[in-house]
Amino acid sequence: MDPIRVLDIGLVSPLRSQAIYHGVAYAMKPDTPDTIILVGPTDPYVCIGYHQELEKEVDVDYCRAHGLPIFRREVGGGAVYLDKGQVFTQWIFHRPNLPASLEERFTLYIKPLVDTYQRFGVPANHRPINDIHVQGKKIGGTGAAQIGEAEVVVGSLMFDFNFDLMARVLKVSSEKMRDKIFQSLNEYMTTMTRHLGHTPDYETVKREYIRQVVETLGRPAEYADPTPEEIAVTEELEARFASDEWLYQKGGLRQTGAVKIHADVYLAEAAYKSPGGLIRATARLLEGRIDDLTLSGDFTLLPAFAVGALEQALRGVTLDAAPVRAKVIEFYRNLPVQSPGVGVEDWVNAVMAIKGQAPLQ
Amino acid sequence: MAVYYGCDIPEDYYFDLDRDVWVRFEGDLAVLGMTDVAQTRGGKLVNLTFKKPGKVIAQGKNVVTVESAKWVGPFPMPFSGEVVETNEAGFKRDILLLNKDPYGAGWLVKVRPTHLDAEHGHLLTGAAAVEAYKKKIDELQVKCFRCVDESGN
Repeated sequence: MDPIRVLDIGLVSPLRSQAIYHGVAYAMKPDTPDTIILVGPTDPYVCIGYHQELEKEVDVDYCRAHGLPIFRREVGGGAVYLDKGQVFTQWIFHRPNLPASLEERFTLYIKPLVDTYQRFGVPANHRPINDIHVQGKKIGGTGAAQIGEAEVVVGSLMFDFNFDLMARVLKVSSEKMRDKIFQSLNEYMTTMTRHLGHTPDYETVKREYIRQVVETLGRPAEYADPTPEEIAVTEELEARFASDEWLYQKGGLRQTGAVKIHADVYLAEAAYKSPGGLIRATARLLEGRIDDLTLSGDFTLLPAFAVGALEQALRGVTLDAAPVRAKVIEFYRNLPVQSPGVGVEDWVNAVMAIKGQAPLQ
Repeated sequence: MAVYYGCDIPEDYYFDLDRDVWVRFEGDLAVLGMTDVAQTRGGKLVNLTFKKPGKVIAQGKNVVTVESAKWVGPFPMPFSGEVVETNEAGFKRDILLLNKDPYGAGWLVKVRPTHLDAEHGHLLTGAAAVEAYKKKIDELQVKCFRCVDESGN
């Protein structure tokens, strides 16, 4: 099989560290090799998931005041504080060269990460669906997306992590809650540095990771540089990623529009935790029916337009479990969607949770 | 020994053309290595990671991970077998063994085949191997070269 191209591009600007894999994906042509990018940011930043609503998840004022840029990626998952303590391992592959099922794809993607950690004495293992754990503590998550013609899977080698700032940049209801988040991160997350008591050499770990990729995929890997076209596409994307329009909208393909509330119309919101992530449902209800619906959160739902399609499908439906369920089942039947850890009943539960909520003011 | 564009093709060896692996049978064991074409394409090696003796590896699966500065590749089993011995010690003494002498001192592993009867049909030897390799060398447009000791040995 053709070699995998490795772009080991070291430290780049925070914006470039996100834009580069999108750029390589959008620039992918039939003869572009499957590519793995190893990259980290020179400076810290905050990155939010494709389906998230910025102001619900991130303390934007804090980030602005402390010069922390915020970018939205085109991959699902949650808001995360990132810095040079992580080396991102970004796969940009042709569709036929990865398993079609997302669960199997995550298993394949996670294996060389787990094997690399183990080589350095960190007893990591894959915790399905898409997490990596060390003795019950998480050492990083992973995400998948279709970007352009490419299948993208992203994750990182977790050398170190700033738990304090991670807790600080999240939007929380109270400082007490923030303390709890910090304590939880401390208790339930780990890094190579924490586990080993020292930070292993970045170059040695990266090299071992590529060795493990070769072992897992049974394909050679060849170090190279991005093409001028890939850089050009990346630069175009950087302009979009830096815009408020992109950052504040919820998911790239949807327009939620303004919501006006009249006497018999009300707006309600609920959050529901599914095994595959948090689902936030915000609905405008008109005489007991869903007049408008927005679904956001840190779940993964492919393809990219599927969330918008599900929102549309539920419009006009009476807010009762049976008709909502019927529509969701129809949605899964009609579209080739994948949502690891989120099933029909999770969407039904998320939408029906709205019923118990007081109208938003 | 046939030579084509600088690439040696020993007629008394067996070859898995697709995997670029040579095989030399010694009794019920088989010695495996990378061909001249493969070592040329891989370039100057910087590291090899061997599977441990005793490990049984299926046909096509990796038995040694071979690395040059810009390339990391699997060395696949031409047939299923148990690793009996590796040349790890040889490469510890001289990492360029394979780039200097791919068919001799640069051997990689010695294995005991487990399903040879069913898995040897694709192996080529003698004139057939030379013809097939010539075609492959033409297709790849490769010209083989070796590393040599500075002393000229």
